[in-house]
Amino acid sequence: MNTIKLFLNKKSHILSLLTLFTVIGILGGCGDSTSSSNDGDVEDKHLHFLYNFSTNSLDPHVDTSYVPLRAGITETLVRLDEENLTVEPWLAEDWEGEDGVNWIIHLREDVTFHNGTEMDAEAVKASLERAITENIAMDNALKIDQIEADGHTLEITTSEPFPEFISELVNPNVAIIDVTEDDILNRPIGTGPFVLDTFVQGSRLDLTRYDDYWDGASNLDSVTFSFNEDANARSLALRSGEVDIVYRPEVESLDTLREIDGLQVESTATFRVHQMTMNMQRENLQDVNVRRAIDALIDREDIVDSILLGHGEVAVGPFLPSLPFAPTYEEQPTGSDAAVAYLEEAGYTLEDGTMQKDGEPLTLTLLTYPSRADLPLIAQVFQSDAKQIGIEVDIKQIDIPEEYMASNRDWDIATYSNLTAPRGDAGYYLNATYHPTGALNFSGAEEVELTEIIDELNQTVDYDERAILAEEAAEYVHENVINSFVLHPSTIVAYNENKVDNWVTTRSEYYMITNQLDVK
Amino acid sequence: MLKIITRKFLEVFFFIVLITFASFVFVRLAPGDPVLTILNVDELSVSQGQVEQLREDMGFNKPLLVQYGHWLINFVQLDFGASYVTGQPVMEMIMQGLPATLELTLGALIVMLVIAIPLGSLSALYRNSWIDQISRTLSIIGAAVPSFWLGLILIDLFSVRVNWLPSMGKGGLDTVILPSVTLGLAISSVYVRLLRSSLLESLNQEFIRAGRARGLSESRIFFTHAFRHSLPPVITVFGVSIGSLIGGIVVIEVLFAYPGIGKMVVDAIRQRDYPLIQGYILVMAIIVFIVNTCVDLSYRYLNPELKLKERETSR
Repeated sequence: MNTIKLFLNKKSHILSLLTLFTVIGILGGCGDSTSSSNDGDVEDKHLHFLYNFSTNSLDPHVDTSYVPLRAGITETLVRLDEENLTVEPWLAEDWEGEDGVNWIIHLREDVTFHNGTEMDAEAVKASLERAITENIAMDNALKIDQIEADGHTLEITTSEPFPEFISELVNPNVAIIDVTEDDILNRPIGTGPFVLDTFVQGSRLDLTRYDDYWDGASNLDSVTFSFNEDANARSLALRSGEVDIVYRPEVESLDTLREIDGLQVESTATFRVHQMTMNMQRENLQDVNVRRAIDALIDREDIVDSILLGHGEVAVGPFLPSLPFAPTYEEQPTGSDAAVAYLEEAGYTLEDGTMQKDGEPLTLTLLTYPSRADLPLIAQVFQSDAKQIGIEVDIKQIDIPEEYMASNRDWDIATYSNLTAPRGDAGYYLNATYHPTGALNFSGAEEVELTEIIDELNQTVDYDERAILAEEAAEYVHENVINSFVLHPSTIVAYNENKVDNWVTTRSEYYMITNQLDVK
Repeated sequence: MLKIITRKFLEVFFFIVLITFASFVFVRLAPGDPVLTILNVDELSVSQGQVEQLREDMGFNKPLLVQYGHWLINFVQLDFGASYVTGQPVMEMIMQGLPATLELTLGALIVMLVIAIPLGSLSALYRNSWIDQISRTLSIIGAAVPSFWLGLILIDLFSVRVNWLPSMGKGGLDTVILPSVTLGLAISSVYVRLLRSSLLESLNQEFIRAGRARGLSESRIFFTHAFRHSLPPVITVFGVSIGSLIGGIVVIEVLFAYPGIGKMVVDAIRQRDYPLIQGYILVMAIIVFIVNTCVDLSYRYLNPELKLKERETSR
């Protein structure tokens, strides 16, 4: 009996506690929202930015969420100029390296870390060395053999001629930090315009302005950089006024967001390309005319409009047209008539509603995977367009495209998405995708002429010459339809335009919180 | 009591070995390995040879049993490895995320109790009345509505429209309310129905009639006799469903950007971060085991018959 009384008492305790908590919580919530709006106008200039991926680690050398760079805590030696899409100085003032092996980098002399320590060549050397020891991928990407530091000058030797070296330094994983600090995972000390105050893993970062920032301290007092992986929830957070800038809101909600007074929606094409990878080892596809027919069948405009709701750019080649090494392509006939013409050239005829050659109907196996939501839809559009001219397309869903395509060759075409020049250089994409040794060479391309161009590119340091070679390679790919390119998807950002000033949606998606960002 | 606890500990040991082995095998049999993530193939130029090399260096070419043996040896030495992706020790990561998840579980349980106990009791007491009808309809709706949708509706109501509660993140107590309510509502529907039917059965028992005959008040009959008698089946289901409750938290954690281990393990699975997946399974297995043990022990407290039977058999 007593125990039951106790139980009941406990229950009522819990109930009253819960009621109390709820009331406190609600009051607390109200208190927060009023105080922040008051402070926002008067003294504390604060912005809240909401990003679409979360991270548990802020170690800039290891974590591929790149949050420390994106949040303005760390910076790299060089950065991408968003207008010309070329590499420009950042923490480095200039550099030399004509032979592609011995590099001399001159650092800015007026830069200090957030703890006040000077950023000299020794500090940068230690930071670079940590990046390549902690991160196998960076060791692999930078090919650094030896680093020597002297004052504000770094002498770096690469283990082989490596002309892309400088552009690889754009990678946020080689951001410069003070490695003598203890807790790099939770509190990296960088050189950027904002200092990290608190980090709640997987949830948010609170940042304050770094007054001694070398490029001019920010006008903002503080920034909150938080994460939410659910697109609907991101849109709602913007609508509730809880956040000021939201990265990649739900595409379906954009019209609703636009209708709300004071919200601005921006979209910028990225370095990513959605492509159709052709399996050149399949008998059907060895004929270039079949590949041309497939290329002609892709209704790019329709896909951009209907699947991406206009938030993308039609792609002809792999590189964004604004990149210096993107060729200008001649317009070629597209549509089902053009596709039929190409197929006829390859010896196919339309009989009983199916495209046939020697009595064999043309059927294609098309791979797609769900982790990029647009791709299965593109596959379906292609399937229905192909059906119109009598081509049967079997869509096959796979889980991990890289793994499947590398070990299975029982497919003809595959939707795939690639970054093509994430650091303003074509070397990465061309080597990975078209060189016979490349890990992403799923088309199985072993084109002697193309391999030669890439090999030459890998030996060429001069910027303009590299651009010419990259252009040649892209043209070769286009001419021989080794892969077919569908579109460059856009990054969409929505923000409160009554409050946010100087927001720039970058193509690289590297630079988000800058010293230019401000409130009105 | 001591005997039961020792037996439980032996059980848990075999249970852990079994479950970690099974998960180890399943995770590794699934396509994909972390090599592509580690080498960051999406952004860095890598050759096929380098992929193979790393695969070999990490021991993925070795037989599964050998790989599991390594894990087990490290496990016995309390070394759970480091995440392939962040390089952070697995246990450190889990211990950072676990409190948030437990907090959310507790919040959801409180919400569930607050809803299920009165609603289930009322609908049993006033069987077939309008209260019963409403609570049954609500619990059917509750069972049918996906919790992420419910969460979005709550965010829209309480964050966007009236602006009372934050829509996401983890901070003060106010940030716990919406995710707890979402999860609590989602699970309470099951318990409303369960408590109702269990109470109805108790109310039909002979001892209740005997109590009435002795002239006990209805409230006393209900609270001291029927309610207690109806709890064991509800608690059994609770013990079974604690696993699915923790699973359901994953969705809620993603929606509310709540930094718990549910969200962490989703990323780990996507990136094939084996040490983290394995650590998560281990911790979850231990939690489920503890909860089940508590459930078992609570029977003895709630149902004195069990204690009597044990005494009889031990004699």
